[in-house]
Amino acid sequence: MKARTVRLWSVIHTWTSLTSTLFLLLLCLTGLPLIFHHEIDELLGYAPRPEAHASAAPATLQVVADAALAADPGRVLQYVSWDKDEPGIVMAFTNSAPDGAPDNATVRAFDAVSSRLLGPVGVGPMLIVLKLHTDMFAGQAGKLFLGAMGMLFAVAIVSGVVLYWPFTRRLRFATIRDRPSRRVRWLDWHNLIGVVTVAWALVVGLTGVVNTWAELMLSQWKATELASMVAPYAGKPPPVHLASLDHVVACAKQAAPGMEVAFIAFPGTPFTSSHHFAAFMRGDTALTARLLKPVLLDGETGEVADARALPFYLQALLISQPLHFGDYGGTPLKLIWAALDGLTIIVIGSGLYLWLARRRKRAPAGSDSFARRAPASS
Amino acid sequence: MMHGSSDRARLWIRVFAAPILLAAATVTGLLAALLWGTVGQYVAWVTVGAPVAVVAGVWVSHLTQKT
Repeated sequence: MKARTVRLWSVIHTWTSLTSTLFLLLLCLTGLPLIFHHEIDELLGYAPRPEAHASAAPATLQVVADAALAADPGRVLQYVSWDKDEPGIVMAFTNSAPDGAPDNATVRAFDAVSSRLLGPVGVGPMLIVLKLHTDMFAGQAGKLFLGAMGMLFAVAIVSGVVLYWPFTRRLRFATIRDRPSRRVRWLDWHNLIGVVTVAWALVVGLTGVVNTWAELMLSQWKATELASMVAPYAGKPPPVHLASLDHVVACAKQAAPGMEVAFIAFPGTPFTSSHHFAAFMRGDTALTARLLKPVLLDGETGEVADARALPFYLQALLISQPLHFGDYGGTPLKLIWAALDGLTIIVIGSGLYLWLARRRKRAPAGSDSFARRAPASS
Repeated sequence: MMHGSSDRARLWIRVFAAPILLAAATVTGLLAALLWGTVGQYVAWVTVGAPVAVVAGVWVSHLTQKT
């Protein structure tokens, strides 16, 4: 590789890294506690626990829905959802209107057997950490901005791999040179940690970028697939009396055999039409539990109106989520995720240090020190 | 010429063999936990954890050499 090519890649690596450094550090630092948010919420008392019941039958869903409405007078139900890892809990989302903004929604957990209110969900310090991580309290603009930083991160990784060759070709793999210069030692650590974590960092970075596009993808799905699903019902008024939630669930399960309900969107909410319930069904394997299938049901009768698989881009979004969160391989994988996150912080920090050290070294002479230390062309 | 290019290929393999193996292991592990249930989880712990183990190993050996 010629010295000029190396210089070009070095400029790309330096500036894509520097531009995104501050935000990547924010993402890595907030991402670290988010890996363990279930555990932290439990520790701080923000995780509702189901009551102990000796093989009691679950309450009807309509009873739970009524309890949710009673707990939030004057508001409406938007969604009812189930966590596959917490079968004893039903979560209810209430808002000021069916199409109310997500930030105005209140999520409460109810016991699936007694229908008793167990407490609020998604509150406490982890909510602040989550908001910082996803949009920095700047809404959709913040999400898209962080997505752009993620793209820069990906370019920095690729350019780092390109530069790995000229900087390490004379060294054995994993060499940390024992030199008096701290800069050389950190350069070796930066190269080693960067190159061994490259696949993980790219996967987590790019799936994070995909997640920032979630709302755009949902808008696209609503404008195309959902619009075509509800087209035959155009002009139908919103239901006067809603079908029983238990009947809706039974009909949805019939339409998607072998699947269970992940969540139900009430008529008028962003995930369905003004006249239909939408039941989002999931499978029971690690993969199919992520791939939801929407079933559209008449709001008054509960009859199935349509059911079809999500388009590829929403399936990609759903698969990208576990690959970003690292929450699909038990506690050991979470610990490994945390260690890799820590290593990424070291790579970012050492990169910043190397840039500052190079500037300090270059300043007195006014010459380009990179040219001095750039490897010979090969 | 032939000799030079084969040297270069050998050098390239020496530099990139370990990173490519680790990257392949990581991707395999990330997908295994998603596709192969409990067995996949065990595979993921080993393969996704491999880069962490390499860095830890180098760090320990660096510390040992110093002392």
